[in-house]
Amino acid sequence: MVGLIIRRFLQLLLLLFGISFLVFMSMHLAPGDPATIIGGPNATASDLEAIRENLGLNRPVVVQYFDYLAGVLQGDFGYSYQTNQAVTEAIITRFPATIKLATASMIVAIIIGIVAGMISARKQNSWIDVTSTTFALAGVSIPNFWLGAMLILIFSVNLQILPVGGLNSPFYTVEGMKELILPAITLGTASAALIARMTRSSMLEVIRSDYIRTARAKGVRKHSLIWIHALKNAMIPVITVIGINFGGLLGGTIITEQVFAINGVGRLMIDAIAARDFPIVQGTVLLVAGIFVVVNLVVDIIYALIDPRISY
Amino acid sequence: MRKCFVPICLLVLMIVSAACSSENSSGKESTTPPQEITYASTSDAAGLSPIDTNDSVSSNVTYQVYETLFTQDPETMEIEPLLAESYENPDDNTWVIKLKEGITFHDGTPFNAEAVKYTFEQLKDPDRAAPRASLLAPIESIEVEDENTVVLNTEEPYGPMLAALSHTNAAIVSPTADQEGDINKEPVGTGPFVFDEWVEGDHITLTRNEDYWRDPAKLEKVTYKVVPEFSTAISMLETGEVQFIDAIASDHINRVESIQNVEVQKTEGTRVSYLGFNMEKEPFNELAFRQAVAYGIDQEAYVSQLNDLGIDNESIIGPNVFGYQEDAKEKGYAYNPEKAKQLIEDNGYAGQEITLFAANRDNYMKMAEIVQSQLSEIGLNVSIETMEWASFLESARKGDYEMTFLGWSNSTADGSELLYPNLHSDNIGSSNYARYENSEFDKLVQESRSSVDQEVRKQKLHAANLIAMEEAPWIVMNHGIVTAAYDASMEGLIVDPTGKWSLYPVSR
Repeated sequence: MVGLIIRRFLQLLLLLFGISFLVFMSMHLAPGDPATIIGGPNATASDLEAIRENLGLNRPVVVQYFDYLAGVLQGDFGYSYQTNQAVTEAIITRFPATIKLATASMIVAIIIGIVAGMISARKQNSWIDVTSTTFALAGVSIPNFWLGAMLILIFSVNLQILPVGGLNSPFYTVEGMKELILPAITLGTASAALIARMTRSSMLEVIRSDYIRTARAKGVRKHSLIWIHALKNAMIPVITVIGINFGGLLGGTIITEQVFAINGVGRLMIDAIAARDFPIVQGTVLLVAGIFVVVNLVVDIIYALIDPRISY
Repeated sequence: MRKCFVPICLLVLMIVSAACSSENSSGKESTTPPQEITYASTSDAAGLSPIDTNDSVSSNVTYQVYETLFTQDPETMEIEPLLAESYENPDDNTWVIKLKEGITFHDGTPFNAEAVKYTFEQLKDPDRAAPRASLLAPIESIEVEDENTVVLNTEEPYGPMLAALSHTNAAIVSPTADQEGDINKEPVGTGPFVFDEWVEGDHITLTRNEDYWRDPAKLEKVTYKVVPEFSTAISMLETGEVQFIDAIASDHINRVESIQNVEVQKTEGTRVSYLGFNMEKEPFNELAFRQAVAYGIDQEAYVSQLNDLGIDNESIIGPNVFGYQEDAKEKGYAYNPEKAKQLIEDNGYAGQEITLFAANRDNYMKMAEIVQSQLSEIGLNVSIETMEWASFLESARKGDYEMTFLGWSNSTADGSELLYPNLHSDNIGSSNYARYENSEFDKLVQESRSSVDQEVRKQKLHAANLIAMEEAPWIVMNHGIVTAAYDASMEGLIVDPTGKWSLYPVSR
């Protein structure tokens, strides 16, 4: 286990180095000049030159990259071109909102997904199964921005029982929970659908396996057969899906954050890309990549905990 | 199964009860509302220092915290003193400005001639790279005559001086605060509102300046909430989570107008949206081609798509900009497809392939699609190329296009500030995207800038306007209408034609 963690950590460093290089080069070589965004359409050529000089953008790209890398190794991820805020500070202020949203959506997704998937598998081809697979299909197909807008119209504008946007209160308060409900449902639906489908197919496979038949023959109670013996083994692929989804959600959920006016990492990243705010883009991409690696590591560890046959 | 069912039911019940408790807090208040408002902004401010920013979102905030020497009346756009008491011109190159006495910045620093000198020198300082340094570029030196008198010396007479001094980016900052801290994060001005808090990406709050040099504002607290999705902002206005939104796009205006208890204000604005030619490429540099395109475009058909949020007037200087004269309206190439076809036939342009270059924001895509269909009808072979804003700006600036759509929000409402940056040959390679060059036009624009006699300036601008209309480096698509929508309990808001608003006179 310790070996795994060390190995993954080294992989992470290598990966982050590669990603930082790719992102840096692609941002600098792609069209779009940060100075024209800061200066606006009416800036003169000398205004723009002064802005570039100020930001150090008139140096060769390779020099800029190594300068950046040297900073990163000392924990300095640079400053936003737009607001001059430190990149780490910009991310730290936005990350709690993203964590809150990702966790709440994941809870919604896991509860709905696993329950629906289990019921579908147990009552295969019944009306419950058909309904739940139809909803799962709809869940994956409905675009987030549409679902979010509809939920706002129904629950906020018409029924006026939930606020439209923002995460302003702590999540453990009633206000805070109310603020999380609509975005969590919007974001959780697609993941719930995926989890439901995965749980159903994995469960069906396990239920038909030999050891379940043996257990049944030995007279294990139906309830513990399903929820203890079958579920645990069926969970491996489901946990993979949950892990990947959760990693994705933690990396920022651009559309949901946009629709519900949530000040998270996704919005920080998309605004930075539009404004060619290179330091922020690099910082957020490195964060997302790092999260993915860590989440995958956690998933691997959970595998070993669930399935004693797996060891590292 | 049953064991699992119970906790799930409980959880659902909890969520529903949380949703229904504390009755209707998001609904509208029926009693006297507090003297507080929340404004929904589609993006966050870039910064809160007038010297270091150049975007309208930032100036919406700085306009309440800082003040300028002069200001424009939001209704008449007449320039009047604000922090200045009076001014005189002993000669055309000297501006002696007397300042109001007894005013202090929010940090206690006295407002005086030194503060004005400090601010303007910072704005002009190449090391600071202020994005609007060009506003005061004609000023050669700034002298402090006494505590309350400042003298601005220019190299050549500078006609739009007062308009420049009224610009939000020429607002006076506290020298102490700027030297000791970062006014881009913690602004310190003399205005009616004091900076309270900025949670970047989320909100900015201002509170009333109790020691304001005029009567204190009526509003006690103002919050700028970042709501990037405009339809979400409208929903928040509807539920009372915000009280004020502005710059409503034509696609949204009908929904906003249908909301009860919400007032919509529409004012004819200074923004002009246009189709621009690249005057360095063929056949776009040929007058006959531009005339054919101009005759082939039916602006009325386009404006009718804007839900009354556009003015059809082919004058480049719009009706709310200084330098406009009524007869310019008739001097454009009014829609005449027959003439257009004739010009195309006579000059062999039939089937000419052209690419319309459009940014995927504002109404540019809509313009491109309508113009594409209209120009196809007169026999041109038109395609559209779109790009996101940052890439678009870079290509447009390099002249890497044939015909494009752009707009100009004239923040001083002065014609010189439209014609000089956009069409004067000095600015080819920067803000003169059309790369238009005409010595007679240049001379008139230069004279409009260097004369301090407002009547002379008006005539020069009018003459320059007529030349540009005839030569048609731009074909005006429409002039803008500025909009704001706010809770019916809000009173006193006036949005000026440049889209600016002060919260000083506002109450609930």
